[in-house]
Amino acid sequence: MPFSLIAKNLFKHPLRALLTAASLAVALFLLCVLRSLVVALDVGVRNAAANRLIVQSSTSLFVYLPEAYEAKLASIEGVQNVCKWNWFGGYYQDPKNFFAQFATDPEALLAMYPEIEIVSGSREEFLKERQACLLGEGTAEKYGFKVGDNFPLIGALFQRTDGEPWSFKVAAIYRSKKSSVDNNTLFFNYEYLHKTIDAGQAGGPQGVGIFVLELAPGADRVQVASAVDALFEGGPQRTQTATEAEFNAQFVSMIGNVPLFVTSIGGGVMIAILLATLNTMLMAAREQTRDVGVLKALGFSDGSVFGLLLSQSLLLCIAGGGAGIALAVLSGPGMAIKLGTMFPGYEVTKGTIMQAAILTIAIGFFAGITPALRARGMSVISALRSNA
Amino acid sequence: MSEILIRLQAVTKTYTRGGEALRVLDDLDLEMESGTFFALMGPSGSGKTTLLNMLGGLDRPDSGAIVIAGEDITGFDNAELAQWRAANVGFVFQGFNLIPVLTARENVELPLLLAPLSRKQRREKAEYALELVGLSDRMKHRPAQLSGGQEQRVAIARAIVTDPTLILADEPTGDLDRSSAAAVLKLLGTLNSELGKTILMVTHDPHAAECAQTIVHLDKGQLGSIERRVPGAV
Repeated sequence: MPFSLIAKNLFKHPLRALLTAASLAVALFLLCVLRSLVVALDVGVRNAAANRLIVQSSTSLFVYLPEAYEAKLASIEGVQNVCKWNWFGGYYQDPKNFFAQFATDPEALLAMYPEIEIVSGSREEFLKERQACLLGEGTAEKYGFKVGDNFPLIGALFQRTDGEPWSFKVAAIYRSKKSSVDNNTLFFNYEYLHKTIDAGQAGGPQGVGIFVLELAPGADRVQVASAVDALFEGGPQRTQTATEAEFNAQFVSMIGNVPLFVTSIGGGVMIAILLATLNTMLMAAREQTRDVGVLKALGFSDGSVFGLLLSQSLLLCIAGGGAGIALAVLSGPGMAIKLGTMFPGYEVTKGTIMQAAILTIAIGFFAGITPALRARGMSVISALRSNA
Repeated sequence: MSEILIRLQAVTKTYTRGGEALRVLDDLDLEMESGTFFALMGPSGSGKTTLLNMLGGLDRPDSGAIVIAGEDITGFDNAELAQWRAANVGFVFQGFNLIPVLTARENVELPLLLAPLSRKQRREKAEYALELVGLSDRMKHRPAQLSGGQEQRVAIARAIVTDPTLILADEPTGDLDRSSAAAVLKLLGTLNSELGKTILMVTHDPHAAECAQTIVHLDKGQLGSIERRVPGAV
């Protein structure tokens, strides 16, 4: 069956075809975005380091651990390095300008996270200066911060008693080599936070949010995790130690079963678009009933007319769905910047593109199969007598 | 005497309508010679169109045999019938039945898609067929841009483009005005007289039937009479 007949039949009603193709484009774009969000949530789990353990309070992530635990953790056999992480939760000028900030141990951080690559500025300055920070290049680009710039952050969780914002200096800018660390975070010296609070110049929770442990080569992570939890069995705060992957998975689950929710929305969208496309194809097939009779009378086989109808559906879906997928891919980098804070690691992956392409073809197939089968089984005479 | 192209032997066809069996063709025997222009006449319900459909392989008899050019087509399955139609039959319908989204040339090219021809060969043959029916200047027009007479001439070009053994025309002038009808009948006559095509035309119109060399009358599914004559000018 010539492509021209397939295309001409399909675009016999250009507005209808265009609207259906546009619906498919929107649906597939949305599906790619939703799928990419799920992938972004999962990226921390998939790319977690195998040699890092996270120690948190067994009560909740929001219950802080005593600072004194650090030395005890460092003494456990199999632990090579310990790093404190405290969520700061500030914002730049306006609550809308939010990005992740952590008070941490600069030296331990850079030792334990080789994926953090300093692309400009001074590592030494970050280690040495109390107000220095290491800033992800995504956030630096977004707000136009350069190495040496000073900028304020208004503390939400840790508020200064004088009502002034916290002051930071960009000592270095980093780029992450792995998606286990995003490109938007600000790291600063834990001492800056701790000393300010101790001096009574700021308020906020005392202690440490989590400890990250780096395992010594050959250390058994299960044994080390058990040893940590056993050590603090008697308090004052009991701990829960997990691998980085387990911790990230638990963190994602705290905001609910987002993958299920997002997949449900995507599934609903796909069913709706399948029904809409099926409706279009049924209308198109009904209008072509007599043409089917003519083609069969001229000697075209039942298989040919089946192919004609099915090809129209596939062509419509590939045109519309392909446009949606292309739009999702092209807008990917822009979306990654926009969603960087909430969904670091947002990317329209090859897997997402493949899934969307398979879905597009599946919609085309299922929307076209009913009219195609009807056309295939229709007798020449009844098709020619049709008044459609 | 021309050789027999079509032979019907005890052909019977019954339809069931509203729970009632209706015998449309009743033990019909008929022979038709090659290169002859036949008109098939009879009152409504006499079985004319059913017979035409049988001869074109669009429908099957309940019993009996239909032998065309030495082949018994009653034993063919759907795929075989489709192949046989493509090679042997050209159809001209009352309602023209052109594909509305295709141009005149594309419509005429359609049956050639089933033949092992290059795109260029298809195009040349379609253009030649359109030339034969006098529509060289309407090749790129779509059916909606043509008059009824022109549409029917495109349909005739489509019917002859594969050089079929048999042309079957079902009320080809039924939807046309007088002058267009005359032009179509003249064209069919020319195809028969100059190209030697065997034509079987179903018609209600005695005036149209006058173009034929043989008029076959059907009545209640049975052969009424066969009238052999010298075709007249339309």
